[in-house]
Amino acid sequence: MWKAGGARMRVFISGGCKNGKSYYAQRLAHAMRRTGLYYIATMRPSDVEDHERILRHRRERLGWGFETVEQPENIPEILDKCDPDASFLLDSLTALLSNEMFPPGKAAINYGAADKITGEMIELLDSVRDIVVVSDFIYSDGLLYDGPAEWFRRSLAQIDRAVAARSDAVIEIVFSGAVVHRGAERLRREGLLPAGGAA
Amino acid sequence: MKLIVGGEYQGKLDYALGRFGLAPGDVWFCEYAGARLNTDKPVIYKLERWIFDALRAGLDPDAELEALRPGLRDKIIICTDVSCGVVPADPERRAWREAVGRACARLARGSDEVVRMFCGIPTILTQWRDEG
Repeated sequence: MWKAGGARMRVFISGGCKNGKSYYAQRLAHAMRRTGLYYIATMRPSDVEDHERILRHRRERLGWGFETVEQPENIPEILDKCDPDASFLLDSLTALLSNEMFPPGKAAINYGAADKITGEMIELLDSVRDIVVVSDFIYSDGLLYDGPAEWFRRSLAQIDRAVAARSDAVIEIVFSGAVVHRGAERLRREGLLPAGGAA
Repeated sequence: MKLIVGGEYQGKLDYALGRFGLAPGDVWFCEYAGARLNTDKPVIYKLERWIFDALRAGLDPDAELEALRPGLRDKIIICTDVSCGVVPADPERRAWREAVGRACARLARGSDEVVRMFCGIPTILTQWRDEG
């Protein structure tokens, strides 16, 4: 079972939209808590709808023991605000990339955002003890993109793969269920995998 | 024949080159290469782009692949999975998306191994093989 003094655990979660990734990630991060539990909120609100969404998400997390830290960019700054031995949930890489690649009030797209975030995420993963990182699987639709949209996909995949490569467990969420691509044995041993299934 | 599928940028080519000890010079890149499928190199990459060009040239990708079948036996074919989005409004894209799905399902049944890549991690898939 999950122990206060056990080995560190870094988990990468991705999957299609509205498949239940955030809920799964919250359950997992909650199960992984040892001391503190931080929710790294990445969305940068731009209108009333966004503010309402953020309030709704905050209400949903009430009672789970998360301390919410707003960090829509420059992600290693959370290391100055948080105890690195706590457990973290970062949701999502997609929002982080969007914030950094399309800076507010500036016309220029930052095509170097992926390199910046990749470096920052490696620093974060090397610094914190336990973390769950959520991203979005946007790579299998039947369209051919060009310009910024294709660069966004390429950029997110670069960050995803760097984070996944350094993660102890890699999970694809399919309609609330987990397909475990790495770390199934350890997740099960430590009581971090729902019962049943073929994973 | 080996078939490697998965979403865009999931590490399909890196996996093929790494696992089989190949170099970029061993790869036929289908993108912008026209409607003729070249089978001179051990790896055929971005088959979905060849299918797009073949359809545009009025060819039937399934019939073309069937005719090339003996030459594909020792190939590593890499194709992007484009099957998981909204049905495209454009009829050409719609036909392309379906043709890619059909071609992959068929190639998979004729392959001795099918691998799906997710974030750089391979999963070996199992499927009923075509008989004969």
